[in-house]
Amino acid sequence: MDTRAESAAYSKAVDEPSVLLTRAPDAVLTRRLLAPIWVGGITWKVLFLVTAGGTAIMALAIAYTVITGIGVWGNDIPVAWAYAITNFVWWIGIGHAGTFISAILLLLEQPWRTSINRFAEAMTLFAVLNAAMFPVLHLGRPWLAYWIFPYPSTMQVWPQFRSALPWDAAAISTYGTVSLIFWYLGLVPDLAAARDTAPTLLKRRLYGIFALGWRGSSAHWNHYRIAYGILGGLATPLVLSVHTVVSFDFAIAQLPGWHSTIFPPYFVAGAIYSGFAMVITLMVPIRRIFGLHEVITTRHLEAVAKMTLVTGSIVYYAYAVETFLAWYGGSEFEMYTMLKDRISGPYAWIVWIVYGINFVAPNLFWFRRIRRSAIALFAISIFINVAMWLERFFLIVTSLHRDFLPSSWRMYLPTFVDGAIILGTLFFFLFLFLLFLRFVPFVPISEVKELRHELAKEERELAERAKEAAHGR
Amino acid sequence: MTTPTGHRLPLLEDDGWSRRHVLQLLGMGALAACQPPREPILPYTVQPAGVVPGKPQFYATTMTLDGYATGLLVESHVGRPTKIEGNPDHPASLGATGLQHQASILDLYDPSRARLPRRREGPAGWETFVREFGPLLPGAGVPPPGEGLHFVLPPTTSPLAASLVDAVRTRYPRAAFHFHAPLYARAADEAARAAFGQVLATQRFFDRATRVLAIDADFLGTSPFGVRWSHDFAQRRRVHGPADDMNRLYVVESDLGLAGAIADHRLRARPSEVPLVFLAIARALVRGSPRAPDALRGALERLPADLPHAPWAEAAARDLLQHAGDCVVIVGDTQPAEVHVLAHALNDLLGNVGRTVAYTPTAIVEAGEASFGLEPLLAAMDARAVSTLVLLDVDPVRDAFADDRFGARMAQVPQTVCLSLRETATAKASRWFLPGTHWLESWGDARAFDGTLSLRQPLVRPLYGGHDALEVLAVFAGLADTNPWRLLRTLHQRTGAAPTDATWNAAVQRGLFPGTAFAEVAAAFRADAVAPAVNAMATRARPGGIEIALRPDPRLHDGTFAHNEWLLELPDPITRVSWDNPAHVSHATARRLDLHEGDVVEVRWNDRSLRIPVLPTEGVADDTLALTLGWGAWVARERDVVGTDAYPLRTRAAPWDLAGATVEPIERPRPVGGTERVRVELASGQPHIDMHDRPILLHDTLETFRNQPDFVRPHDDRRPSLYGAWTQHGPQWGMSIDLGTCTGCATCVIACQAENNIPTVGRIGTAKGRAMHWLRIDRYRLGTGEDDVQLLPQPMLCQHCEKAPCEYVCPVNATVHSPDGLNEMVYNRCIGTRFCSNNCPYKVRRFNFLEYNDYEAETPKMQKNPDVTVRARGVMEKCTYCVQRIRTAQIEARIERRELRDGEVRTACQAACPTGAIVFGQVSDPNSGVAALQGLPHSYAVLQHELGTEPRTRYLAHLRNENEEVPA
Repeated sequence: MDTRAESAAYSKAVDEPSVLLTRAPDAVLTRRLLAPIWVGGITWKVLFLVTAGGTAIMALAIAYTVITGIGVWGNDIPVAWAYAITNFVWWIGIGHAGTFISAILLLLEQPWRTSINRFAEAMTLFAVLNAAMFPVLHLGRPWLAYWIFPYPSTMQVWPQFRSALPWDAAAISTYGTVSLIFWYLGLVPDLAAARDTAPTLLKRRLYGIFALGWRGSSAHWNHYRIAYGILGGLATPLVLSVHTVVSFDFAIAQLPGWHSTIFPPYFVAGAIYSGFAMVITLMVPIRRIFGLHEVITTRHLEAVAKMTLVTGSIVYYAYAVETFLAWYGGSEFEMYTMLKDRISGPYAWIVWIVYGINFVAPNLFWFRRIRRSAIALFAISIFINVAMWLERFFLIVTSLHRDFLPSSWRMYLPTFVDGAIILGTLFFFLFLFLLFLRFVPFVPISEVKELRHELAKEERELAERAKEAAHGR
Repeated sequence: MTTPTGHRLPLLEDDGWSRRHVLQLLGMGALAACQPPREPILPYTVQPAGVVPGKPQFYATTMTLDGYATGLLVESHVGRPTKIEGNPDHPASLGATGLQHQASILDLYDPSRARLPRRREGPAGWETFVREFGPLLPGAGVPPPGEGLHFVLPPTTSPLAASLVDAVRTRYPRAAFHFHAPLYARAADEAARAAFGQVLATQRFFDRATRVLAIDADFLGTSPFGVRWSHDFAQRRRVHGPADDMNRLYVVESDLGLAGAIADHRLRARPSEVPLVFLAIARALVRGSPRAPDALRGALERLPADLPHAPWAEAAARDLLQHAGDCVVIVGDTQPAEVHVLAHALNDLLGNVGRTVAYTPTAIVEAGEASFGLEPLLAAMDARAVSTLVLLDVDPVRDAFADDRFGARMAQVPQTVCLSLRETATAKASRWFLPGTHWLESWGDARAFDGTLSLRQPLVRPLYGGHDALEVLAVFAGLADTNPWRLLRTLHQRTGAAPTDATWNAAVQRGLFPGTAFAEVAAAFRADAVAPAVNAMATRARPGGIEIALRPDPRLHDGTFAHNEWLLELPDPITRVSWDNPAHVSHATARRLDLHEGDVVEVRWNDRSLRIPVLPTEGVADDTLALTLGWGAWVARERDVVGTDAYPLRTRAAPWDLAGATVEPIERPRPVGGTERVRVELASGQPHIDMHDRPILLHDTLETFRNQPDFVRPHDDRRPSLYGAWTQHGPQWGMSIDLGTCTGCATCVIACQAENNIPTVGRIGTAKGRAMHWLRIDRYRLGTGEDDVQLLPQPMLCQHCEKAPCEYVCPVNATVHSPDGLNEMVYNRCIGTRFCSNNCPYKVRRFNFLEYNDYEAETPKMQKNPDVTVRARGVMEKCTYCVQRIRTAQIEARIERRELRDGEVRTACQAACPTGAIVFGQVSDPNSGVAALQGLPHSYAVLQHELGTEPRTRYLAHLRNENEEVPA
């Protein structure tokens, strides 16, 4: 029986598509998975130039903002936060899926995380990087952003710890740091593999530097396993805490629509939901372009789709609860915002788009055929990404634009600079991602090989048991 | 012209240039220093040994508006006037100011002021001017000296101007003097002449009136006496307890004014209807008073039976009759003479004369004379009989009646001299141009509405080397010494007002000569005047079509302040629109004509037309378009014309109310085919006026208040808190704002802007909602419907919450609470997250989205208050309760080893408020004024019960004194 058939038999036994279709030998796997970093292509170059151009637009828009002042954005009083904070929450939300996949699924020993954790983590890092720009950029005086950290100032002034913003800074920087170390640690064995197979001396030396002298000894593997496990344990609560803290930026305020205790779970669920959507958005094209159907299988698609369905349902439940509580709480301001302005106010069209997409999109994943269709998944994920951006937008803007005194009510209208920055960060994100695909093994080779061994072993045992059973009969 | 060091700069005198001169001029520009006037000026308080840097001094001086004096105190920092306050000794001020007074300081430093004197051919200095016009004018010597010499001045009350006019007349007996100001109430003078046989000023004592009937009279707003009248009116409107009485205000008008907005009963009436409603009231009054003179009764009874709004008029009349002798009937300056005559008759009938109304001689020089207006000049120009025309501080090319065609007529005059603060249209059309002086730059005098003789002492030498109109008159008079100070000194020595240095110095220090108010004149109303007046009113045709009401602008007055960025950016006190003067139209009419906010319409009246955006707004009579005058100037900051100039519609025959106009929206071709409306975005300071039934501006009737004095209590309760109360030590500051007496005039807004270095953000910034006003006037719509509603004002500023939502969300401690209860803003610490603004329920925080201060232009910097930080971009700012004033007072008290006295600290808004609606002080002192006010039963804090913010700023609920008999 060839490997593919073997695997199919296993899948049938567990009634799930397999997490790994190939049973190719280690050397073949290594070669195949390292190929993208040795062999470039014209497509990559074109995409690289396009995204570099988009990144330049972002850089220009940012430079213009910093030099002129954030008056070049559409913000006003009362809508003092809008696009920048929307982008921040959106990107940081996207940053959640990576660590969720690598850390929580690691601890839960979910084998399907293996093939996709590396790029999901990279996605997290780049998303966090994008996200972290906005709290700085949106400041009136961004060059003083470091005041938000409790650094040893000679004036002995500390941040004001009752505000959620210093918590935010701490949470994001911690998350970013842990994610980076976690990601890099996982990379070390693969970087060593790249070093060992590098075609030129320069590449060998470069990868050698980054491989930190990894030789693959048992002691190395022992330490590696321990460190990886500890980091996984550290990262797990961070997945929950970061977006909880982000939600405090709103929940500690007293604005109608913000001041709500439901925000932490609501935001965490929303973050993982949007993060998984972004994983799908990236995974489907990568799988296709690099022909990785054996490594990233239907099983992965289905698992991610199920996660999206679960978290999406939580988000939808949160919508229902916050609306209900606005009525149940009896505050006239809260009722106006939730039951009138959002539903029929000037931004209601956005609200209804969000409610619509976030209801329909995840619920399509009840259907196995949709869960297993890469195209459908990709299309739905784009809708979810857009809806989740719009969700943050209306959440922020509807509460601000009509708060307590009607005399101050005003609309918010974005400017071209606002648009250039959000589009620019998308390009920047893809730009970084392209660099990642080109220079770093984006599928964890050692883990895939390990998985193959485990699967092969399981399949062997299965086969033996089957044989014994046949003999016994 | 001299350099700041006092060296003579011969450049302009010699009309020649050299390297040395150019360098001198450049040096002058770089220094642009403020120099005190050469003559001894005296501060309001005791003069210290020398000027102490950092310690401001106050000088009493006088500003005139339409000729009438208002006494002011001007704060000066090391020779730099920075802020204007009222002069408490002056009858027109009583310590308060008006909008234009506050804003006028900005005009002093306006870089767009004219600088260079010129003859048409090119630059020419003052000396050249004196050489040319000082000697007896050539060709004018024989036979009649001064034939063809005409002067146009603004209406003046200045004895010095009058004496110089006389001096010119002595030299040129045939010289003619005309007085021109577009808003000057000629009709009132005519009416006085008709009613009393002489030109008299009517004095109204609103502080003695329990009932006021205002016919198209915004006596609290656009009137030149608005400051004093607002003060007096508030005296009878202030209610501190259920036992207090309150006046009642009836207003009949076409466009909503400040008085109309707070009126207890207001009737919307088309301009042509207003006199008819007044006649209806008059007839009801006559029918109710048996003593009514036969002439009046006869004239009114002959009227047709069906006068409009008769039930309303009768109810108002009954009320007035019940308060005969302590009511006031006032008619606006925009009404023709016959309406004024009827008002005189009614005040006479009601027995108000001698009690709430009195007559004095008018303070306006030559008022009522045949030569007073421009008409004789126009005739002379047509006859080519004008050889030299001297235009001093007037701009008739722009603001004379359109059918005067003043510019065209003026072009035919061989010699024209114009003196003006700016390069006005008249200046551009003149052969000689001299830069004028700001009133803070030159000596002068003027009389207040009641005749009180007031002195104007300058605080700086002319910044741009200008000269005063008085000097020009002195040149024409052939005086060797044209120095206005010496002229003034000599004049008042001669008249006996200030015979000695001591009396002079006392008058300069106080800004006025006490006891110089005119005595009341016992004027008998001529009964025969009333019949022609009533007939004139009644026979006025009742025209169809759209009627146009041209009105003075509450902000720019007649256009004198059309370059003042503070006033341009100030939201209109009623419509809240900044940087524009859209035509007001009622919602009903807008719907009928399918007009929407910002639609540009073509207004046609006879052969004249105008393009102007429209604004459907509250309180405008149906089928009426209300336009304000004075807009349409080119403003440097905007690099554009701001607003629409309505003067081209104004003609001698119809100066205020135009009937039979048409209004048509303008269409333009769309790029994709078809047409679309031409529409402009109006920069509204407050797009929403619906209160959504939220307890923000609490209000009720006097009746309810008497039955239930603490009707505000449910919205002011403190909610139980998990946290204990703060223990408070030392003085605790707080503010009380009386919504019952606030007229929403917005003087406080400009006062705050001047005091606290608040920048302007321009039209686009305002439209985006980025105006920086720390204190704003919110207007909320009361009542159902769209047009017949009340628009009540509510000053909104930092409430200085004890539990401030802004403080706990700031990540860097940039907004913190002071031990004396101020919510403080630490600009240096602010990084600009704007979280504080988001969390402020009152949205009173203002953010520097861009760099709003001009660091390039030299002179505007000089206006800045050195006690207040100029904020850079990227930081949040807001009302500080004028902390700089608190600390100054505390330091002074400490030096003198005493406690602060109540009322010693007055915030800028409080000091400027004409009605005294704002009171600031120590809430911790139970004997203080503010503590007493905050303890009143109808004192409440906005959203206190709902949000628990515990604001230190509390409001007294608005009360209205409704007359049940008046039909809704």
